[in-house]
This record gives sequence, structure tokens and C-alpha cells, in this order.
Amino acid sequence: MKIETTDPVAHPELIYYRRCTVDLTNGEQKFEDVSCQNLEDVLGGFGRSFQLLAQRTISTAYCDENPLIVNTGLLTGSSAMTGLRTYFSSFSPIKGSKAGLPAAMWSTGSGKFGAKFKWTGLDELIFENRSEKPVYVLIKETVNGPQIELKPADHLLGLSTHKKIMALQKEYDNAHFAAIGQAGENWQNVYMGAVALSTENQLKTGEDKLRFAGRGGMGSMMGYKNIIALVAQSSDKNKPLTDAVKKVNRNVVKGGGSARLQPIKRGGGGGTWAAYDVMQPFHAVPFRNYRPQGNNLPEKLFRENVEKNYNIESGACYRCGITCHNYISEKNADGSRGEFIAKFDYEPLNLLSTNIGIHEAGQAGRLIQLCDNYGMDAISLGVTISYTLSYNERHPEKPLLNGATFGDYEKIRELIINAGEGNSPEIGKGSMRLSQSTGETSYAYHVKGLELPAYQPETNPGYCWAIAGAHMTMGTYGMLIREGKSDVDSWVKAITEEKLHIVGFDLIGLCKFFDITQGIGTQMVVDCLKSEFNLEIDPNKIKEAVRRAFLYAMALEFRQGYTKEEFSLPTEVWKNPNPNINLPNITNPEFMAELSEKVWAVFDKELEEIRDNNIS
Amino acid sequence: MQITISLHGVFRIGRFKEEVCDYPLGSTAQSIVDDLKISVTLLGIVLINGVHAAAEDILHDGDSLMLLPLLEGG
Repeated sequence: MKIETTDPVAHPELIYYRRCTVDLTNGEQKFEDVSCQNLEDVLGGFGRSFQLLAQRTISTAYCDENPLIVNTGLLTGSSAMTGLRTYFSSFSPIKGSKAGLPAAMWSTGSGKFGAKFKWTGLDELIFENRSEKPVYVLIKETVNGPQIELKPADHLLGLSTHKKIMALQKEYDNAHFAAIGQAGENWQNVYMGAVALSTENQLKTGEDKLRFAGRGGMGSMMGYKNIIALVAQSSDKNKPLTDAVKKVNRNVVKGGGSARLQPIKRGGGGGTWAAYDVMQPFHAVPFRNYRPQGNNLPEKLFRENVEKNYNIESGACYRCGITCHNYISEKNADGSRGEFIAKFDYEPLNLLSTNIGIHEAGQAGRLIQLCDNYGMDAISLGVTISYTLSYNERHPEKPLLNGATFGDYEKIRELIINAGEGNSPEIGKGSMRLSQSTGETSYAYHVKGLELPAYQPETNPGYCWAIAGAHMTMGTYGMLIREGKSDVDSWVKAITEEKLHIVGFDLIGLCKFFDITQGIGTQMVVDCLKSEFNLEIDPNKIKEAVRRAFLYAMALEFRQGYTKEEFSLPTEVWKNPNPNINLPNITNPEFMAELSEKVWAVFDKELEEIRDNNIS
Repeated sequence: MQITISLHGVFRIGRFKEEVCDYPLGSTAQSIVDDLKISVTLLGIVLINGVHAAAEDILHDGDSLMLLPLLEGG
């Protein structure tokens, strides 16, 4: 970024981001310093990429005109804790309207690729058209600024995400990597391909400890474009910590938002996995395709039960003190750590275990590992499988695919392998398309074509208004369990005011755990921007930009053919209420009708203005 | 007065899952949290007789108190 002002609100045009546009058909490159048009441009991420996507008329994701945009946020690569995010944006192969148009989508992950990418001197990389042959893209820092090279990738084809990265590591030092797996290579039959991002831990240990930009099939888009991997090669550019950023980082680690994520030995709650313990007393842990049965089976995956048989270690991203994830490994007879299995994060864990009838931690870990190595979105994969199992339970006489049923580890494993290798388009194209083909859509757990995360929809009507992944872009998912709020007005306020601000992190380059309760319109972010870039900004201006970006993305949903009827929960939720969930019923038709009316009363006017001014 | 206390998640470590305990009349959920030396930073949900409550709410003889850690993120 080139910054020639201290006031990004009044003078965004004096802030420039370095963009390279690559035409994959001929390798032509165009480097430019692009002047920002607004604060969303300055902040980056989807706030910037969606403005570009809105300029395109795209009717199918897999077409030359659909760009793949790789960018970062303003604080990616900075000394602010969690500043590691890379964003991949495009029209999505998996998320789409009933009108048949693809939705604009972004996906993001940590790992160290984003920081390395930023440190090459580039802020944004746009891929146009499609390469005839498989390539990987080298982005490297030089004395003359960032350079891009397209290189043959035949030697990487057919390798897992992890093996691709380890192969590239042998060729490039001082580099980090983004790669697709076999799933992305088989984009024709897999719409849920993820992009794997390398971590320091992975490169040092050789173990498959990756991070993922999973949602929306951005790995499939990479595969379609015939880009097998990205390499960002640069020296590390860690600045000395200023007192201001040091104070912010201390708050991030000590603050309430990340406290429960800290390791237990540091007085924390033990990572995202601990959500199991909080939701189970309400019988709200997703179970057998989101139908909790009021039993104790989810407790088999409580940490206290898993650690009897497996080794558990806390893990953190590069230079992050939050330490949000847990690695599970085999436990040797003498109690020492054995072979690494997988990373236990709440969403992949639940959706590839309890929600498909698997209650043994090692089996769950192996399924997560398979999903990660093939490079698929664990949420979309898990939910499409749970739909299949639910269908098979209802139709034992004529089941789908291999006839897998809940808890049948071997057959579920086979489903994942077939999907990852492109041999099972029924799974690979996601639950919306599969349920449309069977004609049984009521228990397909997606909203607007994107599978739900591991929070029961009965606990979160806010899913309907999420714009790119139901828990990452609408922070209402824990509200009923946490606060017990069951009145319509509290939910209207949460959806239309407070909880949409979670998307701010997907502009600025930080992880949500930086301050999940407050978002980015805070003094902590203001202090970082002042310290890192000498930018002066009112936190309310940041909030306004986040809100504009959120509504802009929603306006783009409508332009891609969504109707308000599609902003709805799966039919089973309200038509066949689950009596086992020990929480107030806030997804009955009457509640949802009133909520919908009141939410749209707030959003409609602002959406109208956006449509009139920006999106036609 | 007697209160049935159930703890969840990390709050069980070094304590208990469920116990019936004696507390003085007028005790609040917060006073029990303090007595059990539960981290206030980690305390996320307080349920009294199965209903969401505030830490300062006063308990009565025979009540059940459930204490759960924070639920954020995923």
C-alpha cells in the first residue's frame, strides 16, 4: 500500500494498493497502483473485491469472465496479532440462487501465506480467463517490486494439498504456499474445493497442519483456472512492536473474546472444540444431520473423554497468542505423542463426526485429515454427507451412492475419497443440488446454497441473512444459547445492527478472534492503524464502512437472482420442530415471519440506495 | 439453603460435575462462582432452574444452578 494521507475517510484516493492482473490465456501481466475509491477499498478483503465482482455480469461460475481475486487486508502482514488473512473472491460454483446464477463469494484463511504475499509488495492479484495448461504462480519480492511468474505444475497434479505444499517447499525457501488438492483439480465434479494455506508448523514438522480458505468453492475456482498453487516468496518483514500495538496484542490475548480459546493450562477454555461442552446441556450439538436426539452420545467427543486415548496439543497461528486450535495425535503405549492425525476445530470436528453418527475421536480425526488433504470445505462436505446418510435412513430400500448410513465409518470414508477424487459429483456439488435431484429438499441443511455450520438452525434465525457462510458473516449463532434471547426485537437488533459487524474482519486482514464481540470498529483497531500507517480514523467510520460492505454484498445476492423467500431456514426446522432441543422455539413460522418483516424493514431502504447507486 | 450446582466444560476440572451444596440464604449466582473460584472471564452462561439468569440473581432453597463457559466463535 502506498499511503499519502493520514485521513482515509476524507481522502481514500490518496491511498493506493498494488495490483497485478494476470491474463491466464497468454500470461500477460499488468501492474498498477490503484487509487482507493472509498474506505472499503482501503480496508481491503471482500470490501474491495466485491466492488470489482459487481462490475461483471456472470451467469455461471466456470466461465472466462469470472475472475479469481486474491487479496489481503490492510492489517495483513502487520504486527497486529492475527494479521494473517488472505482472501479469495469470485462468483461461486457452489453458492447460487434458485434462479441458477452463481453468488459472489469470498473465503479466507490464516497460515502465513497472506503475510508473505503482502511482503512481496503486492496487495491484490487478479486472475482473468483460464490457463490452457496447469500452472503454479510464483509471486516474489525483487528489488524492482513484486514479480509474477507462471510455471508448469504437471509435477504437482494428483498430489494432496499437503504434498503439493511440501513439494514446493523443496523448490522455494523463504516462501509460503496456497494450494488446492485433488478436489480442486476435479472442479467439474467438485464445487466445494478449498484452498489450503501453509503454516510455519507444517513446514517445520512436515505434518499436515494446514489452514484453509474453505467456503464457497474458491479451490474449485482455482482448479477451473488451472492454477494448482500459489507461492509467495519474500523476506519476513516483521516490524518492531510499538508500545501501542503491544498493548493491543496484550488485550487480544487477555480479552474476553479470546479467553475461552486459550489453552486450558493457561486458564482458557481449550479452543473452539469446547463449544461441545457448552451446547450439549441444551442438546444443541448437531447430531445425525442436525437432529439432536436428547442423548449423551455427543459427550463421547468431550475433551475429557478424548484425552484418555489420544494426545492433545494446543496450537497457534504464526505470532498469535490466542492458541485457538488443538492437534490430536495417536497416544503411544508409554503415553507419549504418536502419529499426528488432525486439527480439531469445532466445525470440521462436529460435521465430520457427531453430525454423521461418528463418535470415536480417532475416526473423526481421520475423516478430517482426508477432507483436508483432498482440499474440500469441511462444512460443505460434512453437511452433504449427513444429508446423504439421512436420505439413506429414510430410504433403506433404495439408498444413495454406496448406501452409507450414520456411523458407518468405512462407507463414509469411501464417500469422502470418491468425492475428493472427483468420482462423486452427487457429494461434490453440495447439498442443495443433491437434494434438488432427489426431490427431498426439506432436510438439506443449507441457506442460499451454502451448507450450515455446526450450530443448530433452531438456535439461529440469523443464518438467513448471512452473506458468505452462515456463522462467519452473521455473528448471531451463539445468541440463543448464550443469552437466552427469544424476543423478536432482540433478534432484529442483532441481525441488523450488532452482529453483522463480524464481517469487518474479512476486510481488514484480522481473524475474528481478535475481538469477536466488538468487531473492527474499535479503539484497538484505530490504535493499530495509527501505529502501523499513521492513519487517523474514527471507529464509527470503520463501522459505517463495514455496514456498507455487508449490504453491498447482500445487494449483489439479489442481483444474482436471490429472492427474499430464499433467505430462509431448511423446511424441516420449522415444519417438524425438534422437541429434544432444550431452548425456546424461535424458528416457528410466526416468529420467522415477524422477524423477516422487521429485518427487511431496516435493510430494504439501504439496499435500495445501494442498488440505485452502485449495482444494476 | 440447598442448591444443586452443575458445572460444565473446564469448570469441572478440579471441581465436580454436579453436587448439592449448602449456601446461606440470599446467596447469588456470583457468590457461588466466587466461592468455587471459577474464572469470571470464562463464565459465559448462568442458568437458574434451566432459565438464563444474571450472575447477580438471588437463589432460593432448592434451586438448581448451571454454570457454563463462554460460547464464542467456532
